[in-house]
Amino acid sequence: MPQCTTKYFKEIEYQPQAVVEFQEGLFGFEQERQFLLIERQDLKPLVFLQSLATPGLCFLTLPIRVISPDYQLEMTAEDRDRLALKKKPEIGRDVACLAIVNLRESGTVVNLLAPLVIDLATQQAIQAIVSGQGYSHEHPFYAETPVAAGT
Amino acid sequence: MLMMKRRQGEAILIGDDIEIHLAHIGRTRVKIGIKAPRHLAVVAREVHLVRNENRAAAEWAAPPDLSSLAERVRSSGAQESASRSDEKFES
Repeated sequence: MPQCTTKYFKEIEYQPQAVVEFQEGLFGFEQERQFLLIERQDLKPLVFLQSLATPGLCFLTLPIRVISPDYQLEMTAEDRDRLALKKKPEIGRDVACLAIVNLRESGTVVNLLAPLVIDLATQQAIQAIVSGQGYSHEHPFYAETPVAAGT
Repeated sequence: MLMMKRRQGEAILIGDDIEIHLAHIGRTRVKIGIKAPRHLAVVAREVHLVRNENRAAAEWAAPPDLSSLAERVRSSGAQESASRSDEKFES
């Protein structure tokens, strides 16, 4: 099995089918195309999006329905075409939908404006922008941020 | 914020060298042409916000306590939808 050096879990082995491909990267990280989705039993429901090319780059994410059970994924036609998705992709059936978590000093926020959408049939992914529905790029999740040095 | 009313085909100037043309006005969208000096980045506001947010999320000031964060998410009652929507990732 191939191996990957990760930001949080040292060296790990992975199944090739756990790799998702962002053909256009993420906003601000346009060169990062391949990411490994990592779930740990003890850290559920967190999902780690680890870059295969850059060990120090790992996004902390949560399945979007964990944060917002009635989240409506209204993708633009352009975004749908980038993944060859049908008009109303269903979260959990057609696509997985993750929100990037940002641990700020002022609190934990999640990005509901730009979810990561993974086509479950092809493992192709994009960071969509669902503007016009009032979702925020800094949706407050927790008032504080749990920080512990030395863990 | 300065508000201006303009029609399709009209334009706005910002300073001497930025032009904004209202090329087409549809039912819910407008098509805008922008002429600006090359050194000025022109980008949709959401893209700018998301780019900055991604960059910030990629770099923690201190190592996050992942266990306690996961624990808090689980105890907030979101567990059911979590196991439903992320089961596809299990390897």
